[in-house]
Amino acid sequence: MANQETQLLDDIIVTSRRKMLTLGVASLAGLAIGASAPSAEAATAFYTDADILNFALNLEYLEANFYYLAAFGTTIDKANFASTAAGAPPIALSGTVGTPGTVSGGSLVPFSTIQVASYAIETAVEEGKHVQLLLSALGSSAVAQPAINLGTSFQTLATAAKIPGGSGFSPYASDEAFLVGAYVFEDVGVTAYHGAASLLTSSANLTTAAGILAVEAYHAGLVRTTINYIDPDGTGIGSYTNLISTLRASLSQAALLGAAPSAYDSNPDDFGLATFPVSLGGGSAVTATRLTDADSTNVVAFARNTTQVLNIVTGGGAVNGTTAVSPAMGVFFPAGMNAGPNGFK
Amino acid sequence: MNNLSAFINRGVSRRKFLAGAGASAGTAAALALAGCGGSTESMIPTPTPPTTSFTDVDVLNFALNLEYLEAQFYLYAATGSGLEASEITAGSASSYQNVGSVTLGNAAAVPDLTPSQQEILNEIAFEEQAHVKFLRSALGSAAVPMPDIDLSFFGPLAVAAKITTAATGAGSFNPFASFDAFLVGAFIFEDVGVTAYSGAAPLISAAGVASGYLTAAAGILAVEAYHAGYVRTSLTGRAIAAGSAAAYPYLGDANLVENLRATLTVGNSAAPSTTGSVETLLTLPTSLTSPSAIVAASAADAVGFARTVDQVLHIVYGSPTVGAKGGGFFPNGVNSIFATTTA
Repeated sequence: MANQETQLLDDIIVTSRRKMLTLGVASLAGLAIGASAPSAEAATAFYTDADILNFALNLEYLEANFYYLAAFGTTIDKANFASTAAGAPPIALSGTVGTPGTVSGGSLVPFSTIQVASYAIETAVEEGKHVQLLLSALGSSAVAQPAINLGTSFQTLATAAKIPGGSGFSPYASDEAFLVGAYVFEDVGVTAYHGAASLLTSSANLTTAAGILAVEAYHAGLVRTTINYIDPDGTGIGSYTNLISTLRASLSQAALLGAAPSAYDSNPDDFGLATFPVSLGGGSAVTATRLTDADSTNVVAFARNTTQVLNIVTGGGAVNGTTAVSPAMGVFFPAGMNAGPNGFK
Repeated sequence: MNNLSAFINRGVSRRKFLAGAGASAGTAAALALAGCGGSTESMIPTPTPPTTSFTDVDVLNFALNLEYLEAQFYLYAATGSGLEASEITAGSASSYQNVGSVTLGNAAAVPDLTPSQQEILNEIAFEEQAHVKFLRSALGSAAVPMPDIDLSFFGPLAVAAKITTAATGAGSFNPFASFDAFLVGAFIFEDVGVTAYSGAAPLISAAGVASGYLTAAAGILAVEAYHAGYVRTSLTGRAIAAGSAAAYPYLGDANLVENLRATLTVGNSAAPSTTGSVETLLTLPTSLTSPSAIVAASAADAVGFARTVDQVLHIVYGSPTVGAKGGGFFPNGVNSIFATTTA
């Protein structure tokens, strides 16, 4: 059930792979990997694995800084006692492509439970390693860390999601608020890496992307499980997950620009922790919770394209009606993401 | 130089890479994308790719065998009964036509669950059932039937892991006895499911990628990781609430399972070892400044692990032996061309 967009992507994949397999190294040099001019054989410039990984790097800059600030009270590029004690070293911001920016907002969460504190610390360490991995792999092609807003962004999103008291929402205020803030990111990371998986052309990059996808899903499972544990009836922060998911689904849908969702996406493509009925072994319906963010039929996690992901993290900045807007700007990325000449922003 | 363009310029495709390079996709990931730490970066062993010529159908059918096992375990745990008969049959074109049966052991609905716990069991059971149906639907007439499954294997497995000393009867391990025992039982499967799909993803052909098989596999991988995240978070959270390892032995039991899995897969019958295993032991954080270990991933770069079909089989067969054709949860082997371990 490929739509026009996936067919275009499939054509690109087939074309690039065919070039790699049949035309040899000379043709590879002509692809836009590290080169400034697209190959004469390419009808239009198209993206490479490096562009896909740079898109991921923008998202990892965002997540890593959120978790470092929440867990340690510092950004990823500056060590402090807490980050050092947790084994999360400062990360040299070695990316150079695009416009470097600073991180605004964010502060140490006054954790009151070991559960939430330990999860925040673990996740910060892991997201930091993802940034380091991508920076190292991309080398001189790596994008610089763009301007990132981890302060007022949350109030903007919480207001848009109609969370009670949203205009004053800070994910740094408490354990529960932190979990809600983490919820904003984690399922999105899953859908972004999932959408990217079939676009990568190198086996090694695919294996690594699959491995990072798995970790993002572990994180999402961790956050959803903990929120569900704290609020099993869904009258507190559990209910906020539904509001956030509804908002994300609508931003994601808008970014389809009127086209149908791709085969592994749907409308809606985001579910909070509200329960739903299921039939087990052919029996009558019983109630299930929703710790997994996936469709209700095949239970395959959703895959989003880059425009959909951009529209979520910029709070609608990737779309104007049925027209894509690039560079997308807003909310977490006030100046937009950084990208190479054929990249995604 | 470890960077993208150096690797890509070798002009390899997925299939060509696996057939000719002689190294696993796992170590290649370390080559192409790891930092300058070199070989110490990767704790992924160097598994041998399948030497048999195989198709996308074979890859998906291998996954289907594992989903049959998970689905039966979770459905019994949630409801006391398993997959419908119509969901375990052979596709008309499959070379496997015998439908297996389930040896139940202690399989039964887990008692004394809170409503929330029951809802979670219902969810996981539903999702694994959905994966069985999805793969069967994708495979159509090529779908293999369910092989013989032995859910009594939890008992001997726990003995091998040194959790208990009795394989049956009093003192034996029964994952259907309580919610905490269920978590340990689920734990046996979940990280394995994630690593199995990670290992299988690069095996899918370019045509299969264009058909959406890779996206499907990646999407199921993500769901397995949500489940693993749930199980590991629950074990960790309940241990923290209990206050100590002694007060909550299930976390330690899960780590014993990890050690067993490592021994089964990294070593072999001649040289069992846990060095270089693809496991992350659970920890019990004791202060507001200690990290948890919910995610099973490389300590070097926080990338999730991948396992080969052989490693997965060693675990589910409960045997480190090369040339093993079955055992453990699959007493007569899986319905797959990969059924016999080659490494």
